[in-house]
Amino acid sequence: MKKMRAFAEQLPLYLPRSNSSTVGNKTGTWRYYRPFYDEKTAPCSAACPVGEDIPRIEMLAAQGLLRKAWETIMEENPFPSVCGRVCFHPCEASCNRGQLDEPIAIHCLERFLGDKAIRDEKPHELAPPSVTGLRVAIVGAGPAGLAAGYFLSRLGYECSIYEAQKEPGGILRWGIPVYRLPEDVLRKEIQRIQKQGIALHCDTPVNGKLLAEIAKSHDALFIGCGYGRSIAIKIPGEAYIHDGHRLLQSVRAGKSARFRGKAAVIGGGNTALDVARTLSRLGAIPVILYRRRKQDMPAFAPEVEMALKEGVELKELVAPIRIEAACDPSSVTESGYQVTLQKMKISAGEVRGRARAIPDGTKTEILTVEHVFRAVGAEPEAFWNMESGERSRQLSLSHCKILFRERPVVYGGDLTNEIKSVTDAIASGKQAAMALDIYFKKGRDHIESALQDHLVESGPALSMSAYLGRGRANRTSHLVSFDEINTDYFLSAPRIVPATLSAHKRSRSFMEIEATLSKNESIKEARRCFNCGICTECDYCRIFCPEVAVTVDKAKRFINLDYCKGCGICVTECPRNAMVMGEEKL
Amino acid sequence: MKQVLEGSHAVSEAVRLAKAQVISAYPITPQTHIVEAISAYCANGTMNSRFLCVESEHSAMAAVIGAASCGARTFTATSSHGLAYMHELLHWASAARLPIVMAEVNRALGPGWNIWLDQTDSLSQRDTGWIQLYCEDGQEVLDTTLLAFRLAESANLPVMVVLDAFFLSHTFEPVDVPRPEKVDRFLPPLSPRFQLDTANPYAINQMAAPDVYMEMRYNIQFAMDRVLGQYDLLEEEFAAIFDRKHGMAEAVRCEDADIVLVAAGTTASTCRQAIADLRSKGEKVGLLKLKMFRPFPTDLIRQNLARAQKVAVIDRNCSFGAGGIFAQEIKSALCNVDSPPGVFSYIAGLGGRDVTQDTLEEIYLQTKTSHTPARESIWIGLNRELVESWRN
Repeated sequence: MKKMRAFAEQLPLYLPRSNSSTVGNKTGTWRYYRPFYDEKTAPCSAACPVGEDIPRIEMLAAQGLLRKAWETIMEENPFPSVCGRVCFHPCEASCNRGQLDEPIAIHCLERFLGDKAIRDEKPHELAPPSVTGLRVAIVGAGPAGLAAGYFLSRLGYECSIYEAQKEPGGILRWGIPVYRLPEDVLRKEIQRIQKQGIALHCDTPVNGKLLAEIAKSHDALFIGCGYGRSIAIKIPGEAYIHDGHRLLQSVRAGKSARFRGKAAVIGGGNTALDVARTLSRLGAIPVILYRRRKQDMPAFAPEVEMALKEGVELKELVAPIRIEAACDPSSVTESGYQVTLQKMKISAGEVRGRARAIPDGTKTEILTVEHVFRAVGAEPEAFWNMESGERSRQLSLSHCKILFRERPVVYGGDLTNEIKSVTDAIASGKQAAMALDIYFKKGRDHIESALQDHLVESGPALSMSAYLGRGRANRTSHLVSFDEINTDYFLSAPRIVPATLSAHKRSRSFMEIEATLSKNESIKEARRCFNCGICTECDYCRIFCPEVAVTVDKAKRFINLDYCKGCGICVTECPRNAMVMGEEKL
Repeated sequence: MKQVLEGSHAVSEAVRLAKAQVISAYPITPQTHIVEAISAYCANGTMNSRFLCVESEHSAMAAVIGAASCGARTFTATSSHGLAYMHELLHWASAARLPIVMAEVNRALGPGWNIWLDQTDSLSQRDTGWIQLYCEDGQEVLDTTLLAFRLAESANLPVMVVLDAFFLSHTFEPVDVPRPEKVDRFLPPLSPRFQLDTANPYAINQMAAPDVYMEMRYNIQFAMDRVLGQYDLLEEEFAAIFDRKHGMAEAVRCEDADIVLVAAGTTASTCRQAIADLRSKGEKVGLLKLKMFRPFPTDLIRQNLARAQKVAVIDRNCSFGAGGIFAQEIKSALCNVDSPPGVFSYIAGLGGRDVTQDTLEEIYLQTKTSHTPARESIWIGLNRELVESWRN
């Protein structure tokens, strides 16, 4: 051992080595191309009707900054707990993570953050508005009207809302069954909006006279009265058909009827599903009658599946053509109705994006039921039909329509929205608020172009945060695709599945079906998010920079151009495409 | 304790016992079993080491260069195309004087795609400044790997431990796996002679102009020469603890041999049996097993071959346009000897083709019956039919 040690010690080494600093070697002179921090748009945000900043919400949640995450939702949507439950979350369908394993459970996170804020009972601390001194009257305290009030008051307008019913909420209060949206959650979120200083007048149906009176004392009007009247089917025996909307409304008003036997529900939309599932909970055996196929139903597919599991029957490709009281004593034991169904078939072509169904010859079928309900759509009360004045005096936007009279009147919500969803109604309220603010501050001619500047990607969703010039204003409209994500940084991990009542239990009660995630579950799920296009301060750019040219100052990252040689490693490493290589901007 | 070990795992066990601190590798058949076992040891805590997964052999070598520059004991393993892909960094590792140990499983290069034994991959890295040690069996693989760390760290040169694809890498044999305390006595923790350290910053491996470059290269040659002079001492130390010794080269019955076969790797094992059989028939034949290829132990080779009449070198490799690579080296080692033996160069067993005792007897007979070699390189065991099919 002695000899070998001596060998090592004797062995001379002659190596290039320098003790002088390399700071003098300004490698930035080698550069002909350089990296930029460049935040982009996540597909989930663009798919969200209200354009929530989802990648940032998930980032904050993942970091445990739950209050900030909730406030980030509140920038764009005053109803996190409601939307976390009732929105059909198009964000998740567009989630890039879905191409790696499964989309992020965005709605579960939103609901958790909303519920937590309700529990905490702390108001948001978003920047207070600068008061404009202008007043806006809002007709209808549904999601559109409440959202309009929320955003307008945040922009410094004094708002009064007029509501015909005894409580606010519109469809949320009177249409959506409590197993999907518990009353308490809704009440708390509405109260929070009210506390922003909005005057709410319930039990105040607006007629022509009142409208004229309101108009006098306000600088603008927003009409978001929704679709209060359901559409008739216009077939012989119409009188035997009950209105599905009215059933939902009476149940939400606390009147509990019991039903027995088969109940036919005509329609294929979400209301038809709500009616059928409510009937099932009230003791009936519901059968949905739909003129097309299951895959053509406008109802949200998971809702359809849940309904079927709860025991709701679905008859496809049938259209009722006649309803008669069942008087044949040999065929029915109790009183009931015979519904004559025309069999339908699918033919070539589409009608408004859906398969075309045509009668299948003269084939018919008779269905004997105890009750018949319709849920084939709704329309506004006649009073609210929008005037179709001269073109020059009106402006049609994606989610509302403005008539320029003595003072501007904005129609929104279901009245104008192509997609009649809760979240689109909120989007409508937001669009109206921004449009009116632009109108008052810059003038009517600027509305369209100014809105255009604050779209999420190419719209139609608008960002209030961008409009108010906050951080989001710097995002480019480039939509981050899955290919642009550095998936080396993301291990496959399953999506959280919230606890759900069994089909057996839920078909017998109005208890809420899905549970809210726990804090730990939510943070874990949020950590799955790619945070497409935004900087999460993960610092991989800084770690991998061979020239140590990335510097951090007050949580912002900068490229030190004295040393950045333009190798692009930072951009390649960036897990979420929040950087880009580009020409020098001289 | 004796264990039945796969040749690959003889390497893995040695690396475990050597307590290598950073291991980086990219899988390639037939090397994969080596790093597979090591990665499991790193993952389950048997080894307190970092296993760096990388996307290529080039990066694997770059990673161990980085780790070794910071003073860590490092290991990697590769084979064939993987080794070829490392080529640039093999030069870097030696010139940066980093004591990296690598296991290299001799495998053919494609195309035609072939995963079996062929020595051309490692031999074509001849001039990269790596010490190369060829092994014959599982025990020698384990011993040589342990020794390689000491050697590398003493000479500040990287060491390649070479073993034959499948015949050795995938063959199970009883191997004595020493106790860790014994290994610790032979191989203390690395105390690097230089290391990158943020507390004491300096830059290494920067530009070396003509006024110093040549001296740096002479410094490497100097170290290689020293390795030749000191290797025996290191082996003695090893033998004192483990009671085993393998030598830079091993001469078997060369003292009175007229003809000496020269071979490396598992072929040497087959040669041992062949010469025993030939000796029993009265043939005066010996074997020189080559273990150390770089530095090339010229003196030892001269001592053992100079008195033979003929030398038959068996190459499982080929430098196209010249011939067997070992034969080239043997010829150059003997060229300045007075009345050197005739050197017959045989190329056999490429791409995993068997070299059997029959093959070796054919080589012996051809050498014995020819006054001089028929050609510079003689290809043994060619399928005549196949050759005729494309020759005409």
